Amino acid sequence: MIQLKTLLNCIDNSGASIVECVNVLKKKRPATIGDRIVVVVQKQRSAGSEATTAAALANKVRRGDIRHAVVVRVKKELQRPDGSLVRFGDNACVLVNKSGDPIGTRMNGVVGQELRNKQWSKILSLAPVHV
Amino acid sequence: MAALPAMRPLGCLRSLMRPSEPITPFINRRFISTAYSKRPQRIPLPQNIPEQFLSQIPLHYRPDPTKEPLKIYPAPPSARKACPDPVAAVTESQLAELDPKGERQALFDYRRNARSVKPGDIVRVVFKNGDPFNGVVLSIKLRGIETSFLLRNELTRVAVEMSVKVFSPNVQSVEIVQRSEKKRRRARLYYMRNRKHDRRSVENVVASYVRQKKAFLGGGRGGQGGRRR
Repeated sequence: MIQLKTLLNCIDNSGASIVECVNVLKKKRPATIGDRIVVVVQKQRSAGSEATTAAALANKVRRGDIRHAVVVRVKKELQRPDGSLVRFGDNACVLVNKSGDPIGTRMNGVVGQELRNKQWSKILSLAPVHV
Repeated sequence: MAALPAMRPLGCLRSLMRPSEPITPFINRRFISTAYSKRPQRIPLPQNIPEQFLSQIPLHYRPDPTKEPLKIYPAPPSARKACPDPVAAVTESQLAELDPKGERQALFDYRRNARSVKPGDIVRVVFKNGDPFNGVVLSIKLRGIETSFLLRNELTRVAVEMSVKVFSPNVQSVEIVQRSEKKRRRARLYYMRNRKHDRRSVENVVASYVRQKKAFLGGGRGGQGGRRR
């Protein structure tokens, strides 16, 4: 149930750590795993430490940037075609560019298998675990 | 009036009659619409009218040779009598198909079977496509063919819960990895979602179990536990 103002964890190494949903694309309902959304970066990774400029330079996005993202985990339970339900402990997303390629090069964390049916195989291949 | 010509004696007679008529005052007169009159009794149509008179009768009174009498069918047999408990019948037929030996049913029937899976146990489920899922059993919903159990685990420091249908053909195997240490006083362990009671990851417990099992079986079946999570 990702909708306007929902805060999500960003689980790639693009530089964002917490993002806020501002729009759900191609859908009139709250977004779920595999849906594309528009987000605003609210919190950067390692934003506080000014000394580590190398890390700050590595950040591809900055606070206040508006980007597209794909939801990969949701707290709201999701029903699979075989009747089983899946529920994660948090809401998480991965930033993507306009053409749908992930901005980050690494991901840390489990993602939902629903991405497979929605042609997000690039994100699935980056993910360490999928459920 | 008396001075009427003598040629019309009868006209005089009529004028003499007149005063007796409109004595009743105009106000008390009733209108014709409010006057009660009995409905004329309907005269039933004669049964066998000769054919040459039929044209005089209004159309809808004429006997219609094409019109058949209304057919009345007997009521269909009662479905309730044929199958008094359809849900139970469907459950039974589905169980016979999906779980012919009754092993799965016994494995999760925690009310009757003392050796079954119970809330709090650590369980490993392997699906048809080879993906395993491990977790602590939070609850078992006994609902006939729709019986399901809820597993909770932590993968990459994110809590994951999965509810699995026991009799789903997608489920290849269900194994009990570890029994709960203490007796649980609840049937639904939803309090384990709270941080204080959270079991966290059970991956290391399951990994050691898989290793032991492999050693016991002599490494014959290597494919199952190969993927690490």
